[in-house]
Amino acid sequence: MHTIRSLGADLVAISPELPDNTLTMAEKHAIPIDILSDATSEVLKKYRLWFAVPGEVKTLYLEKFGLNLEKYNGAGRWELPVPATYVLDQDGIVRAGQADPDYTVRMEPTEIVAAIRKIARVT
Amino acid sequence: MGRKGGMKMSLKDRLAEFDASRKRPPEVVAIVRRGIDYVRESGAAGLSIGDRAPDFALPNQRGEMVRLSERLSRGPVVLNFYRGVW
Repeated sequence: MHTIRSLGADLVAISPELPDNTLTMAEKHAIPIDILSDATSEVLKKYRLWFAVPGEVKTLYLEKFGLNLEKYNGAGRWELPVPATYVLDQDGIVRAGQADPDYTVRMEPTEIVAAIRKIARVT
Repeated sequence: MGRKGGMKMSLKDRLAEFDASRKRPPEVVAIVRRGIDYVRESGAAGLSIGDRAPDFALPNQRGEMVRLSERLSRGPVVLNFYRGVW
């Protein structure tokens, strides 16, 4: 994260969760990146990352993992984004990225840094 | 995470190691797998390289509005979509 910043880039995280009311204002100020709340899933849909959690997965989360998404996302919101990372140049063009429904597949931090370095060289 | 090369391990390898360490029963793994296939077939494929990222404005953890275009005016932006803190 410090490397991303030192290259002049910003890091922004987005989830469908409602704003976290368990954190104090001091704790919120201590978080060094912006964590955005897409409480209507409008942005997730714009980015074509939105999906409704299928029934058997919902049952699994509730009964086996003790995870009720409504507690985080709000009533009736059994919906999530495909985990994704996009590196945008200053024109807002996607220069590198990855989106994979398999949440164990993520963009390597080294690839993110390499993409930012490439943008910095060209512009 | 320090035992197998620590920081030198790729994120991919660390996630694979974590996933294996959970030792989930086969029926749980099967449901998760079917869920992933369902999403893949739903067409939620995200943006492609070369696409222009749609602009948006959303509140951050302090309730301040953050607009993508405003951030881009300062430099490149890494956008990370994640499922939640759980």
